[in-house]
Amino acid sequence: MIIETANLNLYYGTFHALINVNLSIKENIITGMIGPSGCGKSTLLRIFNRMNDLIPNVKITGSVIVDKEDIYAPVSDLIMLRKRVGMVFQRPNAFPLSVYDNVAYGPRVWGINDRKTLDRIVERSLNSVDLFDSVKDKLKHSALSLSAEKQQRLCIARLLAVEPEVLLMDEPCSALDPIATGKIEELMLELKKKYTIVIVTHNMQQAARIADEVGFMLLGELIEFDNSRKIFTNPGDKRTFEYISGRFG
Amino acid sequence: MDRHFDEELQGVKKTLLEVAAMVEDSIVRSLDAVKKQNTKAAEKVFEMDHEIDRREMAIEDQCIELIARHQPVGADLRFLIGVIKINNDLERMGDHAVNIATQVEYLIDKPRIKNVTNIWSMAREVKEMLKMSVESFMSNDVDQAQQVCERDNIVDEMRDEVIRILLTHMLEGPEKIGTAIPLLLVAKNLERIADLSTNICEDVIYIAQARVIKHHAEKKKEQ
Repeated sequence: MIIETANLNLYYGTFHALINVNLSIKENIITGMIGPSGCGKSTLLRIFNRMNDLIPNVKITGSVIVDKEDIYAPVSDLIMLRKRVGMVFQRPNAFPLSVYDNVAYGPRVWGINDRKTLDRIVERSLNSVDLFDSVKDKLKHSALSLSAEKQQRLCIARLLAVEPEVLLMDEPCSALDPIATGKIEELMLELKKKYTIVIVTHNMQQAARIADEVGFMLLGELIEFDNSRKIFTNPGDKRTFEYISGRFG
Repeated sequence: MDRHFDEELQGVKKTLLEVAAMVEDSIVRSLDAVKKQNTKAAEKVFEMDHEIDRREMAIEDQCIELIARHQPVGADLRFLIGVIKINNDLERMGDHAVNIATQVEYLIDKPRIKNVTNIWSMAREVKEMLKMSVESFMSNDVDQAQQVCERDNIVDEMRDEVIRILLTHMLEGPEKIGTAIPLLLVAKNLERIADLSTNICEDVIYIAQARVIKHHAEKKKEQ
């Protein structure tokens, strides 16, 4: 297991947003989190690289172990955690910099300034997301001039440049059309060979298509967590069945 | 995403073709066992049937999972529905091979019946029909599938001929009844294998062209 939570609770002020969540996420697979709006799936995802720390009045109890380390322990290294556990957001958030500088941004923060090394990292990272060939002549162009799909690929390449272990994806295709969505899904299936991916999605079909394991959340609780085959052919909980069959949601 | 799904569909097709090859082998062995009254060969058929059953369930599970997870439409949906049906037909053929092989124990030490060569001609025709039906599935060949469906009548006629011959033998010499009945059952099972081969071909046509030809549906529609 690369990520494990035990008796995890999260409160936004008095609102109990995550209720006693226990789950284990395996390495090198895609884990999908599904559930209706407000069920806590994005909150749970943000737990894994402590993005919730930025929100005022958040209280977290229980433990979250990432690669054998309790990430909420006082001695935990937050900068290192964010390097190991990267995040892709709903809308591509390319920096208003060149394509090259977007990808080189992370390595530079980590003290890599040698041009040849950076060139290698940029090429490797862009290749990993199948983007290098189409942007190799535009490396100095603004990243914002790329299509939404390519910007999303670029954001993933930017994460890969710092060699993370886990990729957290919060609705990574919600701003993309169906063709671009298909391409990003294809990319995720390639990336899981090297990285552990946790994806939050509103799109149940997307979770069904690409996730190896799926968690269904409702009102802050993790109702069911199992392999996709089980969840989509014979879910154990009636509420999961009602959600995946569109009876509520 | 499409590429991965296509690969999974190709994987299902490959697995089904492997089962088809096992079933063909099992039928050949069962007939050989009857011809040579070889109990060891018959036992091998029984063993193979367990593996065919296991694979049938695995393919069915795989298809259900693909339907649940990918919600296929059009040709992909027809393909998976067709595979589920062909898979079932192949498993039934495996059972018929077992039924044929089972006759070996009833034939041992019984008087031989001469001039039942028709049953072996029938067996050749049935094996050819099965081979062609599997090939038509493998290469999506509608013309070949259609040809197999048209050959079903030939097998029915051959079965009737075999029954006539065996009935004559039984009437002429009641001591041959013990031999004739197992051979009748072999003919009956062969005829069912031919029927199932035509079912496979009907599904091949449905997968390729979305045409339903079973139960003469198209002709009834025209009328």
